[in-house]
Amino acid sequence: MTDIIEISVVAVGTFLAMSMFSTLYGKSSPLYALAEESYIGFATGLTIIWNVDYIWKTGIVNILAGDWVLIFSILLGAMILLRVHPKYSYVARLPIAIVLGAQFGLSLRTIIFTGFIQQIQATIVPLFTGGTQTLIYNWTIVICVIFMLTFFFYTIEMEGALGMSARFGEYLLYIAFGAVFAQTFMGRLGLVIGFLQSYTIPDWKTPYLLGSMLLVLALIVYMDKAGLLEKLTPEE
Amino acid sequence: MMAKESGGILKWMAEYDRRYVYLALFLVTVGPLLRPIGMPISVSPDTRQYYGVLQQVQPGDKVFFTLNTEFSGYNEIQSGIIATMRVLVEKNARVCFGVAHVEATVIPELIVKAVQSEMEANDYQYGRDYIILGYIFPNEAAVAAGAQDFHGVVTQDWLGRPIAGTFLDEIDDWEDWDLIADFTTGIATSYLINHYALRGTPMIMNCIGIMIASEKPYVDTGVLLALLQSMRGGAELEFLIGHPGPGLTAMDGFSFGHYMLIVFVLIGNIGYFGYTRQQQMRVDKEGHE
Repeated sequence: MTDIIEISVVAVGTFLAMSMFSTLYGKSSPLYALAEESYIGFATGLTIIWNVDYIWKTGIVNILAGDWVLIFSILLGAMILLRVHPKYSYVARLPIAIVLGAQFGLSLRTIIFTGFIQQIQATIVPLFTGGTQTLIYNWTIVICVIFMLTFFFYTIEMEGALGMSARFGEYLLYIAFGAVFAQTFMGRLGLVIGFLQSYTIPDWKTPYLLGSMLLVLALIVYMDKAGLLEKLTPEE
Repeated sequence: MMAKESGGILKWMAEYDRRYVYLALFLVTVGPLLRPIGMPISVSPDTRQYYGVLQQVQPGDKVFFTLNTEFSGYNEIQSGIIATMRVLVEKNARVCFGVAHVEATVIPELIVKAVQSEMEANDYQYGRDYIILGYIFPNEAAVAAGAQDFHGVVTQDWLGRPIAGTFLDEIDDWEDWDLIADFTTGIATSYLINHYALRGTPMIMNCIGIMIASEKPYVDTGVLLALLQSMRGGAELEFLIGHPGPGLTAMDGFSFGHYMLIVFVLIGNIGYFGYTRQQQMRVDKEGHE
C-alpha cells in the first residue's frame, strides 16, 4: 500500500525533475530556477552532513579509542576553514600543501602503471596467432595506434609517407570521435531512460510523471505567451 | 510551410527547431516504457566475460561492492547493479557495500530491497552475510589507507554501528577481498584500480557509457577481469541470468532512441550539405549572370 509520504516524494520529484527539463524549452524559466536552487541546497546539505559524519566516524571515534595522532588531522582540517578569514587565510596554505603533496605522492606511485605502462601493454597484442576475428581486432589496434601517434608529431614536417600516415591518423581520430559520441549518447540516453523508469515503475507513479510533464509544459507555454518568463526568473 | 517558402525543405532540414528532437526523444522513450514491445537483444562477448567472472564466485567469498556513482548515474547502471547483486546472493557470497559519493549513500538500501526475496531465501543476515558501510571513499587517501589497513579507516557501518564482530573481521588489507565489483560514473574508480586491482585484487566493473573507451584497456591488460557496459550491459546480464529487470524493460526505448538519433543525424546532414550546396549553386549562377 502506497502511503502519503511516498506519493508526496514522487509528486514533488516529478515536478522538480520536469522543471529541470524545462530548460529544453530554450528560454530562462522560474521553474528551472526553482528546481536548480532546490537541488543545490539539497546537495550542499547532504554533502555537509555526510562529510561531518565521515570525520566523526574516521577521526573522532578513533581519537576517543586512543589513536591520538589523528588530532593533527582534525587540526589541519580546521586550519583549512581559515581560508575564509581575510587576515589569517594564509594559514590554510599548510594543510592544502600537505593534501596536494600526499595526493601527488599517491597518484605518481600508481599512475605511471595504470595511465602509461598498462596503456602501452594494451597495444602489444599477438598479430599472427588466434582466430580471424581476433587477428583483425589486434591488427586494427596496432595500425590505428601507429597512424594516430604520427598525427601528433609536431616537431618535424609532415611529408611523404609520414604525412600520409598523419592524414590517415587524423581520419581515424574522426572515426574515434564518432564512436565516443555514440557512446556518450548511449550513456545519456541511459540516464534519461533510467530516470523515466524510476517514475514509471511501479505503475502508480506514471500519472504523476505524465501529469507533471503536462503541468510544467502548460505553465511554461502560458508564461511565455504572457511575457512572464523573464520577469519571474531570478537574475544569476 | 514557412520553411518551404523561404528556402525549401533542405533549409528546414538544416535548421529545424531542436525542440522537435527533445520532444521526439521523450515520445520514443516514454512510449515503450509504458507499453513495452519486447524487442530482441543480443549478448556481447564483454557481458559473457563479466557473467563468467560472476559464475566463479564461491560461497562465502568476500565481495567489496563499491558504488562510485551519483544518484543520476545510478539510473543508468542500476540494471547491472541489481543483476550482479542477485548473482552474488544466489552464490552465497558475503557482500560489503562501500560508497564514494554522498548521493549514493541510500543506494545500498535500494539494492537490498530489490533482491530482498532472494536474500530471505538464502537466509542473508546483516553483519554475517552483508554489511553497508556507507560513505567511506571521500578521496584517494582514504582508498589507499583502506587497502593497507582496512580497520584503521573503517570502524563503523553507515548507521554508526561497530563493524567488529561482522565478517569484516576477516579483512585486513587488499589481499583479503575475493572480488571488487565496482559500479561507477568515474568518481573513485581510478583509486580502486590503483590501490587494489593493480596490486592483484580481482576486480570487475560496470561503468556508464562515456567511460567505456577509457576503461576497456584495463580489461585488455588484465587489471580488470571484465567490464559491463552501461545500461545495455545490464540488460544483457539480466538476460543471461534469466531474471528480467529494469535493463531489459528499458531496451525498447533504448533502441528507439538510437534509431531516432540516426534519423536526425541523417536529416541534419542531408539538410546541411544540400542547403549549402544549393546556396553555392545560387551564388555561382548569380556570378555568371
